[in-house]
Amino acid sequence: MRENSHSKSIEVSNLSMTFRSDDGTSVNALAPTNLEIEPGQFVAIVGPSGCGKSTLLNILAGFLTPSDGQASIGNEAVAGPSIDHGVVFQDYALFPWLTVLDNVAFGLKSQGIGSSERKEIAMRFLDVVSLRDFADKRPRELSGGMKQRAAIARTFATNPSVILMDEPFGALDALTRRFLQQQLLKIWSESRKTVLFITHSVQEAVFLADRIIVMTARPGRIKSDFLIELDHPRDFSSDSFRKIEKNVFDSLDEELAKTFGLAGNQLQGD
Amino acid sequence: MHFLRHSVPYALALIAIATVWQIAVWVSQANVAILPPPLLTLATLWELIANGELAKHTLASLSRVVSAWGLSVIIAVPLGLVMARSKTVERLLDPVIELFRPISPLAWIPLAILWFGIGETGKIFIIFIATFFPIVLNTVSGVKSVDPVLIRAGQVLGCTNEATLFWRVILPAAMPTIIVGLRIAFGTGWAAIIAAELVAAQSGLGYLIADGMEILRSDLVLAGMIAIGVLGVLIDSIFRLLGNRYDWGAG
Ligand SMILES: Nc1ncnc2c1ncn2[C@@H]1O[C@H](COP(=O)(O)OP(=O)(O)O)[C@@H](O)[C@H]1O
Ligand SMILES: [Mg+2]
Repeated sequence: MRENSHSKSIEVSNLSMTFRSDDGTSVNALAPTNLEIEPGQFVAIVGPSGCGKSTLLNILAGFLTPSDGQASIGNEAVAGPSIDHGVVFQDYALFPWLTVLDNVAFGLKSQGIGSSERKEIAMRFLDVVSLRDFADKRPRELSGGMKQRAAIARTFATNPSVILMDEPFGALDALTRRFLQQQLLKIWSESRKTVLFITHSVQEAVFLADRIIVMTARPGRIKSDFLIELDHPRDFSSDSFRKIEKNVFDSLDEELAKTFGLAGNQLQGD
Repeated sequence: MHFLRHSVPYALALIAIATVWQIAVWVSQANVAILPPPLLTLATLWELIANGELAKHTLASLSRVVSAWGLSVIIAVPLGLVMARSKTVERLLDPVIELFRPISPLAWIPLAILWFGIGETGKIFIIFIATFFPIVLNTVSGVKSVDPVLIRAGQVLGCTNEATLFWRVILPAAMPTIIVGLRIAFGTGWAAIIAAELVAAQSGLGYLIADGMEILRSDLVLAGMIAIGVLGVLIDSIFRLLGNRYDWGAG
């Protein structure tokens, strides 16, 4: 949407993470993982809870330092949080003391953009997520879905080359969720950013993504990788949609079985 | 309407206090110099208002509290911010603060006189002690309880150095708690004026009270006490109004 909209690749090689606590115990959250994501690709990650999805995303965001291996964005090793790697959080993380407009303009200010241009850009992105009329409201006056739309606008407005989203719609009801999925596709299709999107909804993953990665139970590694070549807008009830959904579920079921200690061989594998 | 609703409980409280007080006067049959009736005290208070004495003493006390409190703000807010952001500084200073905190401002009077004499400085010092701790402690807790996800959001939105992160995220996020500290501190500082003005003061509500005792005028003592109470409530409500502007609820 902004001039020279760009996006970068993501490369993860032999990345692993073990959390060590002071009392000597350790949790192996991520097994050595390799992953390559092309610029502009929308990739969804699904996997049993606690399998290390957030850990992977937090390493890419620069919030965590991995125990081993390397995470790069655009062939540059991730060295810490950066405005070039946008993050959308599950609990919105809007700044409660700022208006919606100032929230969306927050990153633009960091980029040194002057105040009138900031306002103009922020308004444009608020338009995309249909929040123009709420520009002067405080976050607390917004519903959960509106907050997340504002947070998405805030991230896209800074024109990052990669956007990382950790269960962004996880706290929303099903109807709001559908609406936000559509809005996300709308804002994404205008810029074609590289997106890494964690979700626990297989349907959501198939609806949004170009590619779905299924992770194993903890310690997580990549179990299967699906390319989805359906045109947007996708129809939940079409046969092709359902077929992909079933394949992803089958792959996931084995891992869920492991997580909950069921007999994995009773479920159909991929 | 809003103001009225909040004033009603205070009016009722005043009536109740006056009633108990009047009954005590009847029952005890005490000398007027020891326990004057409420109406006489009210008349004295009115006289103090009319002849400008009350305004003069209030202004004297208020200016002491404002200076001491202002000094505290300048020192305690930055100190609290540093303590909250640096583990080392906190480990060093926390025990010091915890040891000093239980010592009443009253206990500092002798030292204040020895160190600063009987002038203004000693009085401001005592009030400073009273205002310092609530500000430090609230600042520390305000900064420490900033939601970590807001800090992360600030970082990925370009606040990559500690200073920008501090000004744009941490300070505004901690502001509501810091303001509570400022309000409490003004209250404790206001309450400490009696202690501060007990010694060799020539003005102030504390002086008015001490003087009333010297000349056996309990009505003056009580009028001074009433003025302190009412003004305390008024100042506190101003702070609350200010605090409301910073009460933005959760994000
Ligand atoms: N900071 C941490 N310290 C210790 N253990 C952690 C920490 N963060 C996550 N873990 C553990 O690592 C595992 C993976 O966590 P996470 O990446 O959040 O999983 P997911 O997002 O897939 O649900 C979990 O068992 C979790 O308890
Ligand atoms: Mg997670």
